Amino acid sequence: MKDVIVYAEHRNGETRKVTYEMATQARALADALGGKAHAVVLGAGATALAERLAQYPLDVVHVNDDPDVDRYLLDPVVDYLEAVARETGPALLLVPNTLSGRDVAGGLVARLGAGIAADVTDFKVENGAVACTSPKMGGALVTVCAIKPADYGIATVRANAFAAVAGDTKADVRPLEKPAGKTYTALVESDVEEGSGELALEEAPVVVAGGRGLGGPEPFDTLLKPLARALGGAVGASRAAADAGWVPYNLQIGQTGKTVTPTLYIAVGISGAIQHKVGMRSSGTIVAINKDGAAAIGEFSDLLVVGDAFAIVPQLTQLIEAAKA
Amino acid sequence: MKIVVTVKLVPDPNAEKRIDPATKRLVRTGVETVLNPYDEYALEAALQLKERSGDATVSVFSMGPEPLRETLRKALAMGADDAVYLSDAGLEGSDVWATAYAMSRALQKTGFDLLIVGGLTDDGSTGAVPGALAEYLGLPCITNARKVEIEGAELRVERETDGGFQTVRGPLPALLTTALTFGEPRYASLKGIMGAKKKTIAPMTLADLALDRAVGTGGSKMQLEHFAPPPVRGKGRTVEATDGASGAQAIFDFLKEKKLV
Repeated sequence: MKDVIVYAEHRNGETRKVTYEMATQARALADALGGKAHAVVLGAGATALAERLAQYPLDVVHVNDDPDVDRYLLDPVVDYLEAVARETGPALLLVPNTLSGRDVAGGLVARLGAGIAADVTDFKVENGAVACTSPKMGGALVTVCAIKPADYGIATVRANAFAAVAGDTKADVRPLEKPAGKTYTALVESDVEEGSGELALEEAPVVVAGGRGLGGPEPFDTLLKPLARALGGAVGASRAAADAGWVPYNLQIGQTGKTVTPTLYIAVGISGAIQHKVGMRSSGTIVAINKDGAAAIGEFSDLLVVGDAFAIVPQLTQLIEAAKA
Repeated sequence: MKIVVTVKLVPDPNAEKRIDPATKRLVRTGVETVLNPYDEYALEAALQLKERSGDATVSVFSMGPEPLRETLRKALAMGADDAVYLSDAGLEGSDVWATAYAMSRALQKTGFDLLIVGGLTDDGSTGAVPGALAEYLGLPCITNARKVEIEGAELRVERETDGGFQTVRGPLPALLTTALTFGEPRYASLKGIMGAKKKTIAPMTLADLALDRAVGTGGSKMQLEHFAPPPVRGKGRTVEATDGASGAQAIFDFLKEKKLV
């Protein structure tokens, strides 16, 4: 295992931030392994995105605008990545730990006979083997798994776990040949983005999340959104709020939703059940606002403010806006 | 039509997990084994499709240590018709590559028209098994379904994506995974629980599968080096806010102190 290959997932014409984080990490890993750092960008708008990605410390950015990538589910991406990996020989593939990234990773495990580490937050290279650190069971424990030098390895990488730093020289952008002789069957008839233009929850540096204590859908717009905007962050929710239909499912944080690790997490009216805790406990700083001083969330918050969120949040937003001005 | 749902048996997700510092293994004493909660949604999807179609059967497939076998009764009590349980000491320590391979061979043996898999497992796995399994079985892999229609030999699926949703059309047989938005899994009725006692859980071992390669620890690529406890997160400060202004000020001062504003 020498080369490192990054799958550059993108949506809405934007490369995910985690891709730049992976590109930066790929450089360090490729240097430690004595190989090259590659990225693969596919589908509509890939060529434009490849130019931006080439500013990061990669050796080669492989690109194909193939419309099949967006027209058919999953398989074209797996085909292209397999083709690049076969070309390099045993390599480490970095895939974002997203819903679609996990499907891609699974396909590649079977295709390449690869070892896989999921939700990786740290790498160490020793004697040509790569040790991957992953929090498991919602961070209740941490596992370290090793990929042997002779094998292909896949790591699904957690967003916000690594820094993204542009490189000094531009990577070589190369057209990637379409794998031949493939037919695809799972046709994507429509693709709808909800809340487009907003920061992806997993990638936001600040998350302001609301729970049952908010009492309905409106406070997510009137209370939390302005605070999140003032802090340059995104709005999330507990399972109770998502189950009640107050917010779409893709905003749910916790065991049955997303795992986030922002620098700052503000929990508003969230009691802090295990279900929620496991999705956010690795955040940098946790601030909770709750009516109940005995709420479980106090046990793992850096600051618990006991009081009325409806009175506190707007004033906090004002203080932050005033400090920025 | 035969629908097969794969389920996994996991330690109760609502129990706080901890590591035995001596063995570096998960403490299982006092933690009940349950159906992986994600798999209950997969089963719910299968049961709804069965009810709509009228002529479908729902079988449950699972793989795990023999003593956990009876936990499958819950799936039968919810309404599955029968179950197959693959259990073999030779499977211990299997990674995704080995697990998906062994499962694919077992599922080829049971046969199916539609395979439904829970989206994730709750005991620390990777979310990569569905993709690998679909690859071994040569099936379209349609994940995170929140609505499923069967039209003849075709599936129409509305699925959750990272930023919204998609509608996807694909042929049968296919592999589906379900999103939690599919709908709450049903409770087993008393009649279901009584009836489940008479349903069969057919055993299967590796000897039934004639695999072309080893599975278990020896047939896996991924080596678990060790477990470590997570970083400890202590209880922080508590501030009683008498009004909005004092609460907001307390948070603002704290964020300033942490250099977050």
